[in-house]
Amino acid sequence: MSWIREGELTIIERFCGNIIKAGPMPKHVAFIMDGNRRYAQKCHVERQQGHSQGFDKLAQTLRWCLNLGIREVTVYAFSIENFKRSKEEVDGLMDLARQKFSRLLEEQENLKKHGVCIRVLGDLPLLPLDIQELIAQAVLATRNYNKCFLNVCFAYTSRHEISNAVREMAWGVEQGLLEPSDVSESLLDKCLYTSNSPDPDLLIRTSGEVRLSDFLLWQTSHSCLVFQSVLWPEYSFWNLCEAILRFQMNYSALQHLRMWTDSYSFWNN
Amino acid sequence: MSGALGLVWRLLHALLCLQRALLAWLRGRPAGGPRSWLWRRAASAAASCALLAPAAGTFAFRKAGAARRRPGGAAAARQRWRLDGRALQKLPVHMGLVVTEEEPSYADMASLVVWCMAVGISYVSVYDHNGIFKRNNSRLMDEILKRQQELLGLDCSKYTVEFANQDKADQGTNGFPDPDLVLKFGPVDSTLGFLPWHIRLTEIISLPSHLNISYEDFFSALRHYAACEQRWGK
Repeated sequence: MSWIREGELTIIERFCGNIIKAGPMPKHVAFIMDGNRRYAQKCHVERQQGHSQGFDKLAQTLRWCLNLGIREVTVYAFSIENFKRSKEEVDGLMDLARQKFSRLLEEQENLKKHGVCIRVLGDLPLLPLDIQELIAQAVLATRNYNKCFLNVCFAYTSRHEISNAVREMAWGVEQGLLEPSDVSESLLDKCLYTSNSPDPDLLIRTSGEVRLSDFLLWQTSHSCLVFQSVLWPEYSFWNLCEAILRFQMNYSALQHLRMWTDSYSFWNN
Repeated sequence: MSGALGLVWRLLHALLCLQRALLAWLRGRPAGGPRSWLWRRAASAAASCALLAPAAGTFAFRKAGAARRRPGGAAAARQRWRLDGRALQKLPVHMGLVVTEEEPSYADMASLVVWCMAVGISYVSVYDHNGIFKRNNSRLMDEILKRQQELLGLDCSKYTVEFANQDKADQGTNGFPDPDLVLKFGPVDSTLGFLPWHIRLTEIISLPSHLNISYEDFFSALRHYAACEQRWGK
C-alpha cells in the first residue's frame, strides 16, 4: 500500500524492537516531519523531490510504528503558514497531496486489510476543491476501520484549531445547548479536531529545530517532546527507537504529573 | 522469551540511568582543583559517546573555564553583561524559565532572573508544574532583590523588577509578548503545561539542571537561541 510501506523488520530490528516493547510503549505518536527542503539542498535535487522523499519516509515510518504496536500516528503535513511559500512550492505540495490521496482511494482493499482509519485535520476550506473532495472520500471510506489511526494535519495550525473549538462552544452557549458553566478544559478537548484521539504520548520533531511551530499545542502540553537533528527523509528505525527510549525514560515522571493534572482538572471543572 | 527480553530491557534502562548519573556527577565536579582539565575531558568524552546523545537543544555539560572569577566588581559585571546581550544577533524579549525538577532553588532562579535583566531581556516568566514559585512568590521576590544587589551593585534604580503575578481572577498574561525562548531545566522532556497557547513559535532549549547554574551555561543557551533560524512557515 502506498501510504504504508509493505515489508517486515529485519531480524536485528525485530530483536531490538522486542526489547523496547518490554517497556511502556507510546500509544499515540505525533511527528513534525521537518527537513525535506534541507535534505533536497544537501542532495542537490529539487525541493519537490525532497517532499516526495519525505512522503516515502512517512510510509516507511508508519510501517515501523505498526510493527512496534503503535496504533495511532498524527503527522504535521502542511501548516496554514506554509501557504506563504512560493506559488510553485505550494502548487507542488498540492499536486503531491492530489497524487497520494488519489492513490489511496485506488487501494481500498489494502486499506481494509490494514484497517487504517484516516482523518485529515485542519482548515480544509482553504484547500483546492478537488483536494477537499479526495480527502472527504478517503475519510468516509475509512471511517469505520479501527486497527490503526492516521491523522494528517493539513492546512492546520493549533491556534486555528483551538479558536475554532472555542467558537463552537460559544455557539453552543448562544443556542442554549450549553450552560456557560459547561465550558471547561474537558469540553474544549471534545471540540478540537483531535477529539477522537487520546493526547499524543510522544512528539518527535526532526531536523534539529526545537520549537512546536503551532502544532498540537494543547494536546502535547504534557507529552514527551523529543527533538532529533536528523532530517526527515533520512529518518531511520534507530532514530525511532531512540525517541521511544527517551519516552520510556520520561514515562514514570510524566505519568505521575499527568495524573496530578487530571485530578486537578476533575476537581476544578 | 518475554521474560528474557524484559530482563534485557531492564538492563538497557539501568545502563541509561547509570550513564545519566555519571554525566551529572562529572558535570557537578568543581571546575577548579587538581587535574580538573582531565575531568572536563572525561565529561566531554562521556557526553559525546553517550547512548541517546543529547538531542538538539540540550546542553550536556558545563563549558571549560566556567568558574573563572572575573575582576572588576559589580559595575564591571553590569557593563559586561549588557555588552554580552548586545553582542548577540538576537535576544529574546520574553524568556520562560521552566523547572521540571522536584525541588526548585530560589537562589538559582533569582540568579537567572537577574542575569536576564542584566543582559537586556525585558520579560521573564518563571514556572514549575507544582506552582511552588507562584505560591512562594514573595520569597522569590526577596531572593531576586538580594541577588540584584549582589550582582548588579547598589544602584538598582536602573532595573526595576515588576511582578506581574497571576491570581485566579486575572488569568491573562498582562500584555506580555509571547515567549521567544524557554529554558527548560531538569530531566523531564516536556513543557509540563507551560503557556500552551503562547509557545507556538517558542524555541525550547533544555539544560540539565537549574541547581548551581553558571552564567556561562545561561549565556551558552542564549547563544544557541541567537543561532536558531526561524522560517515562519515560509
